[in-house]
Amino acid sequence: MSGGYEATIAAFDRRMAGYIPPRSAWTPVDEAVYGPPDPFRVPEAEARRLRLAAIRYSFTRHYEQNRFYHRLCSEHGFAPRHLRGPGDLARVPMLPDRLFREYPPGRDFALWLGNLFSGELPRIVVAKADPGPDAVLEAFRRAGLEIAFSSGTSGRLKFVPRDRPTFLALQYTFMKSVVAMLYPHWDRRAHVYLMMPDPRRTALYAGRSCEAFFSAFDQVRVGLDRAVSAGQVRAAMGGGGGVRGMIARSLARRGTRRLVADVTRWLESREKGGEKIALVGPPFVLAAVMDRLQREGRAFAFGERAMIGTGGGWKTHEGRRLPLADFRARVERTLGIPGRLCLDGYGMVESNAFMVHCPEGHYLHVPHSFFEPLVLDNDQRPLPRGEWGRFAFLDASAASFPGFILTGDRARLLERCPACDRPGPVLDPEVRRLDGEEARGCAEEVRRLLAADLGGRRE
Amino acid sequence: MLKPWEVVGRGMLPPWSMVRANARGLLAIARILLGNLAAVRALMRQSRRWTYEPPPRGYELPEYEAGMVNRSSRKKYLRPTLYCDCRDRRITAMAQRLGAGGTSARAFAETAFDFVKRNVAFEISPLADAADVLGRGAGSCLHKISLFVALCRAAGIEARYRFFSLTMLDNYMEPEFERAPLIRKWYDAMGSFLLHGSGEARIGGEWVCADVGAEPPRQAASGLPLTRFGEDSIGLWLFPVPGTMFRSESVPLGLGWPAKFLMKRFAGTVAGFNAGILEQIEKGRRIIEAAGGEAAYDAGARRRHGATVAAQGLLEPNERIVFQRD
Repeated sequence: MSGGYEATIAAFDRRMAGYIPPRSAWTPVDEAVYGPPDPFRVPEAEARRLRLAAIRYSFTRHYEQNRFYHRLCSEHGFAPRHLRGPGDLARVPMLPDRLFREYPPGRDFALWLGNLFSGELPRIVVAKADPGPDAVLEAFRRAGLEIAFSSGTSGRLKFVPRDRPTFLALQYTFMKSVVAMLYPHWDRRAHVYLMMPDPRRTALYAGRSCEAFFSAFDQVRVGLDRAVSAGQVRAAMGGGGGVRGMIARSLARRGTRRLVADVTRWLESREKGGEKIALVGPPFVLAAVMDRLQREGRAFAFGERAMIGTGGGWKTHEGRRLPLADFRARVERTLGIPGRLCLDGYGMVESNAFMVHCPEGHYLHVPHSFFEPLVLDNDQRPLPRGEWGRFAFLDASAASFPGFILTGDRARLLERCPACDRPGPVLDPEVRRLDGEEARGCAEEVRRLLAADLGGRRE
Repeated sequence: MLKPWEVVGRGMLPPWSMVRANARGLLAIARILLGNLAAVRALMRQSRRWTYEPPPRGYELPEYEAGMVNRSSRKKYLRPTLYCDCRDRRITAMAQRLGAGGTSARAFAETAFDFVKRNVAFEISPLADAADVLGRGAGSCLHKISLFVALCRAAGIEARYRFFSLTMLDNYMEPEFERAPLIRKWYDAMGSFLLHGSGEARIGGEWVCADVGAEPPRQAASGLPLTRFGEDSIGLWLFPVPGTMFRSESVPLGLGWPAKFLMKRFAGTVAGFNAGILEQIEKGRRIIEAAGGEAAYDAGARRRHGATVAAQGLLEPNERIVFQRD
C-alpha cells in the first residue's frame, strides 16, 4: 500500500463504506467514531472534546429513551444537566456487566431483552407463548436486531441487544483499530484465516465481532465452518444438555483436531504461494498449531508478510496463562513472524470498542475519541493513573443499550504509552478477572467449543 | 437392613437425572483414561508431588452422658438415613452442646450451621457417616451436609438434602485444579461437576438453605461474601446445571463405592486437590486478616457484590413484543 496512512485509511473506508453512516446524518457519536482517521492518534485535546460531546449525546439518549436506565439514573440523582465537563464522567451511572446474564427464563427473557433496548424497539413477534432462549433470539433477529452473546465459564450466557447501527459501529471500530495499529501492513489481498466460528453463522461475540474481515479482505477462510447456536455454547461451557450436549462436545473434539490440521495445511500452501497472510483467533489455537509444528520439527519463515491478531484471553488447554512475551517468541521461532506483528486485543460483548496492542511495546491502546476508560476502587471511586482496580468504561458508540459498564476485570491505566508516541491512555496488557468474578474470555469459549477433553494433544 | 419400600420411602433411590449425570461422569472419565493414557499418566505423576496432611480437628468432642435427649423420630426428615445416623450418641452429645432443646429451632439451626461450616474442614474423602465426620472434623460438602442434617434431626428439626450438578467460578477452584490437573480435565470433559449440594432445615414451616460446604476463608480467597444461614451460594460462586436439582431426605444409594474406588485409584490427585484446599484456606485467612476481621471483610465483599443494579423495570410489559399462541 502506497500513499501514506491517509491513502491507506481512505482505501479502507471505501471498502467499509457500508458500515459508515452518511456524513450529513452524523451525530456527535458518529463524529467521534468515524471521524478520526486513526483512532489511536487523535491529539489529546481533540479526543477530550470529541469524547465529552459523544458521551453527553449518548447518555442523554439512553436517559430519555430507556425507561430502565432512566430509573437507574433517577436513583443515582444524575441527569444530563449534571454532565457538564470531563470531571462529571465518573458520575455517570454504570451497569455492572453481570446484569447482562441476570435474565429470567421463558417469555420474561424476551421482555428483559426488549426493555434493555434504548430507543424505538421494532415490533418483535415471538412465535411461542412460552419460548426458549433460541426462539426469542430468532424473533429479535427477524426484527433486524443483532443479539450477540458471550459466556463465562459457568455456561450462563450474556446477551446484549444491538440494533443495526450499533452492530455496524462495532464491526467498523474493531476492524479500523486493527488496520490502524498494523499500518502499513494492511493489504486487502492478504489471505486471512479466522480460527473461530464463522462470523456469518453465529451470534457468539467471539465470532460475530469479526464479520468485517469479509469486507476488509478479499480472501477469508474460517476455521469452524458450521453454525454455532446459543444452546451449543451453553452445552460446551456449562455441561448438561443431555444427548445434544454430548454431541456438541463430541463435535468440538473433532473440530480441534481438524482445525489444527487445516491451519497447518493452509500455512504450507500460503508459504508456497508467497502470499501475505493474517492469522486471527484465540491464542491457544495458534499455540496448538505451533505445538504440532515443533513436534514435527518444522518451521515457516513468513517474515514481514504475515500478521497475527489474537484476543479473548490467554489460557491454554491446561488452564494456565500463556505468557505473552513467550508466545511472541514462539511465533517468531516457529512461524518466522516478527513479534511486533503479533498483536493482541481486549474487548468484550458489552462494548463496541476494541483495545489493541501497539507493535512497539504491546500496551493496550484505547480508542479515546469515544471511549472513556476508568479504573475504580472498591467504593467505585476513580483511582489515579497507574493503580490497579476494577475496570469500567463509558462507551458512547453503543446506541441500542447503555454502554456505561462496570466490568469484573482488574486493570491498570497509564496516562501515556511508555513504548510509543501515540497519545491517549493505555491499559497494562495484564488485564485479569477480579477475584469472585466469573472467568470469561472469548478464547475460553472457543476453547471449550473445540476442546471438551484433552483436545489439542491428539491432533 | 431396610426393606425395598423403605429404601424408596426414604429417598435413597437416586433420581433419573442423577443416574444420568453419574453415567455421563463415569463415561467421561473412562474416555479420558482410555483415550489419553500417556497424558493421564503424566498428570498423575504431577499430582504425586503433593502430600496432604489433614488439619487437626478444630474442636473438642463432648462426652455422651445419660439423660441427653435425642429428639429425632421415625417421621420423615427426622429419622436416620444413609450416612446420616442422627441417633448416634456422638451426634446427640454435640447437638446437646450446641443448645438442642434449650433454644428456638432457628437459633439451633444457625448454631449448627456455623459449627459445621466453620469447624469442619473441607476435604475430599470417601463417604462416611455423620458421626464419623464429626469425629474426624473434616469432610466434603456431602459429609458436611450430612452432619448438619443429623444435628438438626437430633434436635428435633426436620432437615433434608438438596443436590445438583454444577459449574463454578474458575478462580474458586484454581488452587485445587492447579494441584489436581486430572480433575480439571474431568471437569472440562463433563462441562460440569457431578454433585454438590446444601442442607435445608425446616423453620416455621419454611425450608431454609444451609450452605455449609465452604468455610469462610475459602469464600474470602475468591473475594466472595461469607454466606450465612438462609443464604445460597447459587449465582455467587456456583451455578447448577439446569434440570439436575433435586431434594431428598437421604444421600442416594450408589455414591459410596465409585467414590471409594476413584479416591483409592487416584490417591495422588485427591491429595493434590486437598492440598489446594488448604492453600486456598490459608490465602483466605490472610485476606480476612488484612481486611480487619471477618465482619469487616464480609461488609466490604457484600458491598462489592451487592452492586448489581436493582433491575426493576426490565420485566415490565412491552407493547412492541408480541407472543403468539402455540
